[in-house]
Amino acid sequence: MATTTTKTAPAGMTERAKEWQQVGRGLAFLSPWLLGFCLLTLLPVGLSFYYSLCDYPPLKKPVFVGLDNYRQLLWEQDVTGSRGDPIFWKSVYVTFKYAVLALPGGLFVSLGLAMLLNVRVPGQAVYRTIIFIPTLVPTIASAMLWMWLFNAKLGLINTLLARIGLEGPGWLTSPTWLVPALAIMTIWGVGNTVIIYLAGLQDVPKELYEAAEIDGAGVWRRLWHVTLPMLTPVIFFNLIMGIIGTLQVFDAPMIMTNGNGGTDRAGYFYTLYLYDNAFRYEKMGYASAMAWILLLIILALTGLAFWSSKKWVHYQGK
Amino acid sequence: MHYIKPVLLTVFLLAMLALLAFGPRGTGGLPKEVQAGVDQGKITVVTYWEKWTGKEGEQMGEIVKDFNATVGKEKGIFIKYLSISEIDKKTLIATAAGVPPDIAGVWDTQVSQFSALNALEPLDDIAAEYGIKPGYYKGVYWKGCTYEGTLYALISTPATVALHYNKRLFNEVGLDPDKPPRTIRELDDYAAKLDVVQRDARGNITRIDRTGYLPLEPGWFIQHTGYWFGGSLYDEKSHQMTMTSPPMVAAFEWIRSYTERLGPKSVMDFKSGIGNNFDSPQNPFLTGTVAMVQQGTWMANYIEKLKPSMNRWNVPGTQAEQNAAREDLLRRLNERATQLAAVKVERAAAGTTDARRAELAAKEEELRREAWVLRKQFRDMCEWAAAPFPSVGKPESPYEPAIDTPTHAGFDVLTIPRGCKNKRQAFEFIAYVNRQEVMEKLCSLHCKNSPLTKVSEEFLLTHPNAYIEVFDKMAESKNAFGIPPIPIWTEVSDEVGILAANTYQMIGPPPREALAIAEKRLQRKVDRFFDRQAIRDREEAAAAAKGK
Amino acid sequence: MSVAETEKPSVGVVGYRPEPEAGQRVRRRWHPELWMATAGLLLVCAGFILPFVWMASTSLKTLEKTGEFPPRFIPDPVQWTNYYSPDKEHPDLGVLTHSKMHFGLYARNTLIIAVLAVIGNTLSSALAAYGFAKVKFRGRGVLFGVMLSSMMIPFPVLMVSLFTIFRWMGDHGMGQWLGTSKPLWAPAWFGSAFNIFLLRQFFLTIPDELGEAAKIDGCNEWGIFWRIVLPLARPALTVVALFTFMWAWKDFLGPLVYLQHEDQYTLSLGLQTFQSSHGGTDWNLLMAAALLVLSPVIVLFFLAQKTFIQGIATTGMKG
Repeated sequence: MATTTTKTAPAGMTERAKEWQQVGRGLAFLSPWLLGFCLLTLLPVGLSFYYSLCDYPPLKKPVFVGLDNYRQLLWEQDVTGSRGDPIFWKSVYVTFKYAVLALPGGLFVSLGLAMLLNVRVPGQAVYRTIIFIPTLVPTIASAMLWMWLFNAKLGLINTLLARIGLEGPGWLTSPTWLVPALAIMTIWGVGNTVIIYLAGLQDVPKELYEAAEIDGAGVWRRLWHVTLPMLTPVIFFNLIMGIIGTLQVFDAPMIMTNGNGGTDRAGYFYTLYLYDNAFRYEKMGYASAMAWILLLIILALTGLAFWSSKKWVHYQGK
Repeated sequence: MHYIKPVLLTVFLLAMLALLAFGPRGTGGLPKEVQAGVDQGKITVVTYWEKWTGKEGEQMGEIVKDFNATVGKEKGIFIKYLSISEIDKKTLIATAAGVPPDIAGVWDTQVSQFSALNALEPLDDIAAEYGIKPGYYKGVYWKGCTYEGTLYALISTPATVALHYNKRLFNEVGLDPDKPPRTIRELDDYAAKLDVVQRDARGNITRIDRTGYLPLEPGWFIQHTGYWFGGSLYDEKSHQMTMTSPPMVAAFEWIRSYTERLGPKSVMDFKSGIGNNFDSPQNPFLTGTVAMVQQGTWMANYIEKLKPSMNRWNVPGTQAEQNAAREDLLRRLNERATQLAAVKVERAAAGTTDARRAELAAKEEELRREAWVLRKQFRDMCEWAAAPFPSVGKPESPYEPAIDTPTHAGFDVLTIPRGCKNKRQAFEFIAYVNRQEVMEKLCSLHCKNSPLTKVSEEFLLTHPNAYIEVFDKMAESKNAFGIPPIPIWTEVSDEVGILAANTYQMIGPPPREALAIAEKRLQRKVDRFFDRQAIRDREEAAAAAKGK
Repeated sequence: MSVAETEKPSVGVVGYRPEPEAGQRVRRRWHPELWMATAGLLLVCAGFILPFVWMASTSLKTLEKTGEFPPRFIPDPVQWTNYYSPDKEHPDLGVLTHSKMHFGLYARNTLIIAVLAVIGNTLSSALAAYGFAKVKFRGRGVLFGVMLSSMMIPFPVLMVSLFTIFRWMGDHGMGQWLGTSKPLWAPAWFGSAFNIFLLRQFFLTIPDELGEAAKIDGCNEWGIFWRIVLPLARPALTVVALFTFMWAWKDFLGPLVYLQHEDQYTLSLGLQTFQSSHGGTDWNLLMAAALLVLSPVIVLFFLAQKTFIQGIATTGMKG
């Protein structure tokens, strides 16, 4: 029967040849993606790296300047004696401050929500839809909405806080509360992550729960010993996506601060400064350098996550 | 219950299919006659991308239609008009990729930037052919359209910035509404009188309920404050930033003085109470929370839209009656203005008999008097008024202006990106927009003043902004200033804006120091720009020489 | 089917809920956990839906009342004409009759782009995902890593290059791309990293034995993909389709940059009609329009919801 197992490899083909054949097959499946990737992704990305080494006002041709953009960003001495571009460092700080709030916040809130939405309460479909709707609201509408809600005197949030006797802060006009406000707005849009968690929850094998119950485990013990470990692959997926997403957040701060980052640049995110450099200051080369620095940071963090995943992510065997 | 989902799904899918199959379709192309003309080589299509949307976009669209039907038809030009917000991003990307539009509607802030990069077509020669020479525009506007002596843009609509104040509140505290402040010191005095604050036992201010004036309400022109003090940010001849001159420092210290007087916390609380409410009925000027603001010609538009009662002050009756009275007044005013224009035309065409001329002259005078009386009534209906924003006072007598009527004059422009293949046809349209009748019509619709030196009386009489003469006069002032011709203006503007806001909130070092730091930083950027541009110019010249 | 089984606490606070036995209708018993869950859900959803309710409320207000303080939820008066204004004199008062925002036209344009994008993206992403999941070949991991990294570059710096590429194609006889809607859906036919990643996770959970068995029966790789894996993946494909649809429906930057005629506008561009730089924004109309734009997708989600969650369920994200 050996000769009829495969229609492909003739008997006697070397290991090497078989390998290459596999490569061929793989690439065949990948071909549409690969073609698009080379033309529409690799090329622009490669060009952007070249631009990062140039002085490039978009209206004119790029002029090669070597590492000058990176030098300006990272170690050229500023008038005040500090190194690098002070606005750049500020934007890094703001973005990380936000990420520290929004990433864990988002992950936990969405996980909790997913668990809640998994309970078979009447109207479950309605609740799920409600949680998902915020991700569909067009950005322009949602930003205007939140600007009102956060208005210190007239907005809904502070009005409600006043009802319970608290004095709401200045939110969008306050340097300390701007980033938390944006984090809250992000958490409102957490629907996508919730859906993915929900799916992961369905996938936990029932037998494990039954076994745990037989062993007398209560609700919280089941959570800790059955649900969470089984969910780690999902958590990991959302962590990676979260890292990429939080560090690249753009739409919300853009509209909430009118692009200028608010009081004393308290909300001047990395991508806002990148955007300003690319489109308003005519410094596309500088912006490209910023983009590549961001890429390296994200790669580093993702790499860290992947490395740590060996310690805490449990994949179910196939 | 189980049937709902499938039914809903089918209905939904059917609706989508119906939309696809029978829904409205666009042509996405040119009208048939135009396409035919293009194919025959008789019509040139000129693409025009404008950043205005909404009403302004529509109004320009009307003008494009008029052009296409008249001059365009005559000369075989068809303007393909696209209006959408964020068009400057689209224009930038398209230009960077080598396919710019033929006419780009951009902002004054971009003229220097684009010109310095040699990205715009120079327009001196072609404009002169149409009679558009220096002197056609008011000085400040012409200067704003040039960079290092060459004309690169022409205006679509301009604006000037004035002090808007609330007459009712003036009356309340015993100030004369016909005597707005003329110097900074006077402004400070008036502001103090108009403030309504709460104090604690020790006399410190704990809360601001109403303020006469605050530099950052709204603070849109805060970067230019120094100009009202006689300073400037940049010296164009030497390419040097001049941010640390005494007038500039004085200006920023003045900004800070308000917070020092009222207390940082109360000012910040006041600010967060207002938030970003410019475009809403909660605008602080409209609610009377701020008595005086620095705003532009468009403010009248917002007032009419968001708080029409401010334009019907002291008009008796219900809302409907007020509207009726105002409309009646406007109708009569427009009638007079049209009649006046007609008489003028008649008079110019009339024979030379003394009797006829004298008769027409007398009629003209009478109509003019009536029209201006009505116009004054129109102005009196406004609870608000506009006056030139105060300038700094003389050192020896701070209540006398040291500079005569400085004002910030901004504008929107039409430019032709470099390398445009249809430059002449494109300019035909720009010239059309700059004809007096067309320009006045557009400016009136947009509630802006006119950039032309010649302004018709009818324009002033029928303009929706009751105080348009104030704005018009200010634009003529010798001391009117526009955006400084810095090739990296947006970066400078952002930096100075943040500096001003920080000074105001008493964050960071005091004005003198902050200005010194910013000046050094920005100077370095300016120098770098010119260095790079020199390299680029050399390369371009070399390439051009090789090409020959 | 003892009574004891139906009385078992079926709350899923830890995600466990027993399937109803065949032929048995589940009677829901209100255990304390169920109450707690419902209360929690109500509270959270109230918070989540508040902004949305605010949108709806604003969309029915008159302009003066939009910014009123203290904020009110029930508009007074209710202005239905914000949606549809049959008044011939003032058709602009309603979103659906607006002279500048041609709702039907823009909806159709957006629909075409979305449908084309969905079909193309689902197919090509599935193909690539299969390649990454099931075909073991040298360099697969590296290629996968490169694909993931491509998601990490912020878009603004790629825009000019992309635009130039489309222009270059037009100049070199590959058809006119700029000024059409092609750049908005054609790239989707080459797959997208997010969807490929998602589908790959799913395909990884389909046992290899199925493929092996098919091979024995004489099936080649393509056959396995088309006849075995893809049908099993139907729920996951629904997810990808939905996400792609959502993205195409909401995209603003693409249409802004590539379209050059008002007749081609999508809904996201149309929403800009209500903004104005010097005349004031019509907040109530903007919210009404936004609600109209968003409703088809809500309906789509509500309908597809069950498939979709079950769908990713079997994805399992199991690496």
